[in-house]
Amino acid sequence: MTMKLQAVQIATGSNDRESRLVSEDGMLVAILVQLSGEHGALAGKWFLEVGFGPVKDIHAPLFDDLETAKVWISSRLADIASND
Amino acid sequence: MASRHAQPDKAGTGYLGSVAGLAQPIERNAKSNMRGSRARPWNRPAEPTCLHEPVTALAVCPTDASPTNPDLPSPPPTPRFHMSNPLVRKLEGFGLLSDADRAVLERISANAQLIGQRVDMIREGDTPDGVILIMEGIACRQKHRANGARQITAYLLPGDACDLDVALLTQMDHTITTLSACRVVRLPLDFVKRLTDEHPAIARSLRLSSLVDEATLREWLVNVGCRSAVERIAHLFCELLIRLQVVGFASEDSYEFPVTQLDLADTVGLSNVHVNRSLQELRRQGVIELKGRTLKILDVQRLKSIAEFNANYLHLGAWATA
Repeated sequence: MTMKLQAVQIATGSNDRESRLVSEDGMLVAILVQLSGEHGALAGKWFLEVGFGPVKDIHAPLFDDLETAKVWISSRLADIASND
Repeated sequence: MASRHAQPDKAGTGYLGSVAGLAQPIERNAKSNMRGSRARPWNRPAEPTCLHEPVTALAVCPTDASPTNPDLPSPPPTPRFHMSNPLVRKLEGFGLLSDADRAVLERISANAQLIGQRVDMIREGDTPDGVILIMEGIACRQKHRANGARQITAYLLPGDACDLDVALLTQMDHTITTLSACRVVRLPLDFVKRLTDEHPAIARSLRLSSLVDEATLREWLVNVGCRSAVERIAHLFCELLIRLQVVGFASEDSYEFPVTQLDLADTVGLSNVHVNRSLQELRRQGVIELKGRTLKILDVQRLKSIAEFNANYLHLGAWATA
């Protein structure tokens, strides 16, 4: 399994633009957005803007960095894989 | 590590004003939230002593009783009440009340007990044992999932009576919690029955109030099901402006809104990030201003337009069309 991140800019309707498309084995599984300065002390953290399939979680935590986000996304994918 | 650092219960700084003002927002922490809202049981206050009197006796305020003079016919009692009582204002919005009706409402709400913020007044599974009246502050109805996620299903504002017909139920199917410090009155069920039996105008207004509660719940369902993030928040702000104006807790454009961003997120079914973005958007458009715990609506018509707000579900007559 290979996870890839692709830098993109996303029009969220806010100042949160810096984003990553997260793909696993060529399939888009999530979109991460870096919080801008309008989020105060949380600026710089990564937010799960969209998760697909098992990665969807409206209560997902914020991530300090992309590596942490990748670990979390991988764990969600692994949970589903182990249940198959 | 994924950050789950902010504890809603610790946050004196978690109110919307500080968030929108770029101070540190509260990050969602579902588990701590669940613990927080359930950790503080309500030490039930003593019932007001006047509740042990017959309901009809309560219509006459002792402080207004004239000295007895056997040589003269007693003048009719002239209860002294003022329109600042939110319970009276709320119920009068649904129909005319007599002086005796108003006086009894004044009496039963005179000794409201102060309850701190984030205190469960009654929890899911508890046996209902009274009707709670909110006289100051904001409380809510909420439900929790096993994973700690929460949905707030109603805001209880000054003048609101919780669960008038709760005596018909054997257990609560949700929890009622204070969001801010509140002043509340608990009326025993038998007292409520006597009150409504002896004061039909009050009974009618309380029934109408319950119907509006149901209508409001329907509107909230539409909110989370059919409206965008900005629209949901705009709609809630419009509704609260009118409801608080009715009971004298809002000016023409401002009110105290002591609700955290976490509470708001769980009210409108959004993440904290989306709530913050939506508040920023409303601020950028010059529609609202948040300072501390005060929400000022800078452009009421614009806010109503964003929300497609129609106050008909509040059934408040002149208030709703203002």
